[in-house]
Order: sequence, then C-alpha cells, then structure tokens
Amino acid sequence: MLPLLVRFKVKEPGRRGFGLWFPVILVWIILAALMLVLLPFVLLAALITIWRGPGLKLLLVYPLLAAVLWNLGGLTIDVGQKEKALLIDFI
Amino acid sequence: MNEERRKILDMLSQGKITADEAEKLLDAVGDPGPAAKAEAGADTAVRRSWKYLRIQVEPGPNSEEDERVNIRVPFKLIRAGLKFAAFIPREAHDKVNKAFREKGMDIDLARITPQDLEEIVSNLDDMTIEVDGKDKVRIFCE
Repeated sequence: MLPLLVRFKVKEPGRRGFGLWFPVILVWIILAALMLVLLPFVLLAALITIWRGPGLKLLLVYPLLAAVLWNLGGLTIDVGQKEKALLIDFI
Repeated sequence: MNEERRKILDMLSQGKITADEAEKLLDAVGDPGPAAKAEAGADTAVRRSWKYLRIQVEPGPNSEEDERVNIRVPFKLIRAGLKFAAFIPREAHDKVNKAFREKGMDIDLARITPQDLEEIVSNLDDMTIEVDGKDKVRIFCE
C-alpha cells in the first residue's frame, strides 16, 4: 500500500536526536505532477530511441516507479551502533 | 502407503491382475484426495501469507561495536524493484559479470530472466539464515 507517512529518527553521540513524522503523501503529489509534466518528453525520448536505445522500455518507467512507491508501505530500516541510531519507517 | 495401493500390489503379487492393470489402478488411486489437497492448500496459504523479509543483526556477547540492524522489506517491494533490472544497460552487465567472476561465481547477468528472478523471490520465504559469530545475524520471512 502507498505509504502516507514516514517516520524518521536520528540520534548521534553528543547531539540531541530528533524524530519526525513526515506526510510523505505530499512528496507523491509533487512527484505525480512532475511525472505528468515530463510525460511528453519521455514519449519523445521513447520515439527517438525506438530503433537504437531503450525506446519503448522508457514508457515502463512510469508503471514500475508507481509499483515501487505503492509497495513502500511497511519498509522499515532501523540501524544503530552504540549511541548512534537511524530509523526510517514508511507507514 | 495407503490401503488401496497395498491391495492393488497384493492383487498383482497374487497374479489376479496384470502389471498394466496394476499401473492403471495405481494411477487411478494416485490422486491424493480432498483431505490431502486441503492440507497442501493450507500449507501453501501459510507460505504465501508471509509479507516481509526481515534482516536482524544483534550484538553477540563478544561484540565490541554493539551494532544493531533491523530491516523489514515488503516482498512486493522486492518484486517491483527487480523489474527495474530490465533497465540495466548492457555495458553494466559486463562490469557486474566481471565482479561476479572475481568472487568465484560464473554468472551471466544477461541470462537471468525475469522468470528466474521471480522464482528466486517466490522461494525466499523458505529461507531462514542464522549466523552466530561476534554478532547474531538472522534473515527470515514473516
């Protein structure tokens, strides 16, 4: 499922750590708008490179990227070492 | 061995039926039946219910670094990400193949098909790796 929130938590030795709940859906909206704007250029690039180069494969970028972003929900990366810590959690 | 199969083999040994007839009968009773099928289906359902690949590293008793890693990756994300393999340029294939060879693996990246990758991912749920050294490493599905 498409994550709506991302939780960051960073802690470094000698510094005050911080935590952040970020509404990542804002990023998806901006990204969707950007992809829409870039679509004609991608189509053009696909047509130009159709005989030599990636060609129509370029058009696959959109659905593949959407699939990756859609399935980011549940991804958790939690790494720590002594007083250092990093947490990224897509919710 | 179930009772029907034993009876068929008994009949064959007593000469009541021929080998061909026995083969046909064994084929006929070869169907595992609804109960066994239901059991197999339930097992498959359990296997497919795993959603995440987990990688955990915890410090062992002799660990000096005290490193902790806890990564949870959705299987769907792995599958979606692997589809991007189609975009790896041919020039990069040579570099990757060379790196594989240096590590003693004779693998040609160009020969790995999306079906192969899908098979690898679909069988990842059978995998549990536990390594006990300085740190305790666990890779499993949940």
